[in-house]
Amino acid sequence: MNIIDENPRIREQNTKIENESEESSDNPSSDSRREFIKASTVASVALAMPAIITSDFASAQSGGPVKIGHLEDLSGNLAVYGLQKDHAAQLAVAEINAGLTLKGGPIGSGGVGVFGSTATQPPLMGTGSGDLNYLDDGGDRSNETVAYVEDDEILVESGDDGILGRPVELLNLDGQSNNNIWQQLTRKLIQGDKVDCLVAGFTSAEREAIRPIVDQFNQLYIYTNQYEGGVADANTFCTGAICEQQVIPVVDYMVKKFGPRIYTIAADYNFGQLTAAWTKATAPLVGGEIIEEEFVPLEVSNFSTSIARIQAAKPDWIFTLLVGSNQSNYYPQAAAAGLEYPMASTVNMAQGYEHRRFSTPSLNRMHNCVNYIEEIPTKRNRDFVKRWYEMFPDDPYIGQMAQNTYFSVHLYAKAARLAGTTEQEAVKRALETGMTIEAPEGAVFMEPATHHAGHCIRLAVADENHHVSFLREWPMITPWWLQRMGVNLVGKKEYKQYIPDEDPYFTMFSN
Amino acid sequence: MDLVPLLVSLLYQGLTIAAFLILCSIGLMIILGMMNIINLAHGEIMMIGAYVSTILVSSGLPFFATLPVCFIVGCLTGYLIEQLFIRHLYDRLLSALVVTWGLGLILAQGTLLIFGPFMPSIEIPFGSIQYGDFTFSVYQIFLVAVAFGTLLGLHILFHKTPIGLKTRATMQLPEVARTIGIDQHLMYSLTFSFGSGLAAFAGGVLAPTTTIAPFMGTQFVAPAFITVVVGGAHNIITGTLYSATALTAVKTPVGMFLGAFAGTVGLFVAALILIRLCPNGLSSIKVFRTR
Repeated sequence: MNIIDENPRIREQNTKIENESEESSDNPSSDSRREFIKASTVASVALAMPAIITSDFASAQSGGPVKIGHLEDLSGNLAVYGLQKDHAAQLAVAEINAGLTLKGGPIGSGGVGVFGSTATQPPLMGTGSGDLNYLDDGGDRSNETVAYVEDDEILVESGDDGILGRPVELLNLDGQSNNNIWQQLTRKLIQGDKVDCLVAGFTSAEREAIRPIVDQFNQLYIYTNQYEGGVADANTFCTGAICEQQVIPVVDYMVKKFGPRIYTIAADYNFGQLTAAWTKATAPLVGGEIIEEEFVPLEVSNFSTSIARIQAAKPDWIFTLLVGSNQSNYYPQAAAAGLEYPMASTVNMAQGYEHRRFSTPSLNRMHNCVNYIEEIPTKRNRDFVKRWYEMFPDDPYIGQMAQNTYFSVHLYAKAARLAGTTEQEAVKRALETGMTIEAPEGAVFMEPATHHAGHCIRLAVADENHHVSFLREWPMITPWWLQRMGVNLVGKKEYKQYIPDEDPYFTMFSN
Repeated sequence: MDLVPLLVSLLYQGLTIAAFLILCSIGLMIILGMMNIINLAHGEIMMIGAYVSTILVSSGLPFFATLPVCFIVGCLTGYLIEQLFIRHLYDRLLSALVVTWGLGLILAQGTLLIFGPFMPSIEIPFGSIQYGDFTFSVYQIFLVAVAFGTLLGLHILFHKTPIGLKTRATMQLPEVARTIGIDQHLMYSLTFSFGSGLAAFAGGVLAPTTTIAPFMGTQFVAPAFITVVVGGAHNIITGTLYSATALTAVKTPVGMFLGAFAGTVGLFVAALILIRLCPNGLSSIKVFRTR
């Protein structure tokens, strides 16, 4: 019985040591210390072994498992996205429970990679002259290539057993692509299960359906999807990419490469409408113009009229913001009708893997500025993809929001460890400390004032065989629009979504 | 923009949308018109057809060879559903509605569990032709031929063959039909199987133009019901034909000049007005009556 009595204390001690190691785990000089800690972990785990028998007692002491509520669409029109996110959460929770964490801390390790042409030799100081201020350019440029750092494994020992010594329990429910069910299940997770953290939401309609409930109970809520931006909510942390990160870079590239005339075809709800508004506002900044905007209801699945409208309008390229399985029909139908315009998007390909689902060349010349896509060639991503398919060998694809859910669950674990508690207000404060997490995409920065994430953005393009390559890279684009709107959730709590209508920026440059 | 290519494009769009409505609704229409059963699993039976053709194509069969298989699998599924559930629910319109709705859910969720959220799609055959500023998918034109061909085939079946006569007799006056020796239950089984077979065939033939997913049925159900309600069950063939034509005549120009959203609204407004003006459907209007 003595051992049992001691057990929680050992765990507590253990946790404290590991928190230290956590903070310094990016520092190579702490290797020996880490070794020591690892050894001591093993020792203390061994000591704690009898605790398994009395795990009820131990969890009663520490409040039972840490509950992460996860709500996504596992059936219905949006199941194709929800299933990926559900698997992402399962993978992350399994890793946390196995004592693993993604690297990160106050500042990321950085340096993911660059795209460009290579020099024949590394640049040298002062070659050919005594002038050491002169740096040669390494000789003639040879082939265009992707250069990226084969960085260290980002999944490291957390030194923790679950979160703060408590196992993590994932409560994953099915929203059935139905906003009413979303609201019911959110209430169940918050009031019934009393989850420590809620990770949920694919469409903006789903998010806006549950956000009032989240705010009613001040529930810590992580929204992991890419979306139109603008949510300034003290309880909500948005870890997906937003318009200033995705729309502006791709519109800029497309206008320069293919021409200024843009045809926008978008899903008719808040995401499509607001992303189209961003496109309209930023196109003039880079010399483009929107010649036509068409909003398509989510139920529409026959696109012959839209295809004829596009042909009548003769754009230089098409901005497609289509959502859901009905609307994906646009791609094969457009290809069969011989529509061969270049395309850009913020959602298609990276979310619904249309380039894998539809026969070639329906997605030929589709461009998307993504924060994640399965094809990213870096080592950290190859490792992540491997781990994923080891756990879920039958999965068809890993989309950008699945990766977001994956690192977000790890981010929550890191924040709870930093806070030293799962008490929700304390974890929210910890998430507002300017944390960086090393995600498969690269370093992700949780910007404290706006609760949005700075992302590594890459411009991906599919060719006629639907192979994906990368044209440009922005290692970190800050989410700046809410800062422009004066949002600082650390200083002043707000619970609203800003929309482009509130900002004169959106009409400043329009004709 | 030249006027002639624009008109040709409008005609093409109109015909393809009408073909879509006809293919979506024909199986539903037969079951409703003949048996007065509202089959809410209609979309899922179309989904089964699409899955059958997709699976067979991916295992190497040519696409067009899969279509008869779709029809047969649809018939068998329909026969099974009729034998197990529907035959206990004749004259109980609402019970049948709830049961078929539940069946639809089970079929869709079961497909999700077995085949996952998506299947790779079938390549659309044939390619495209150009005229003026517009290009047209040859397969969509083929679908138009299939849709109107199906209607013609049904017309011949119901109006020129003995079995068609028996079916229409059962549909109009079941008691009298029984007295002259027509097996009403057999006719109902055959009708439900045949309607399901047509739905699965339509799902198969539409499969290349659509996403192959467990819940794909929902995209067909709304257009199918609107077409059926506007057309009315007075005469299956003319009902479907007039209804699809009338709805398309509104949707196409509105959609072309004002966008997809306005086109969808136009379709609903047209349906609303038509139902208000003739609550029993277009096929019940005297001038349209063919018999």
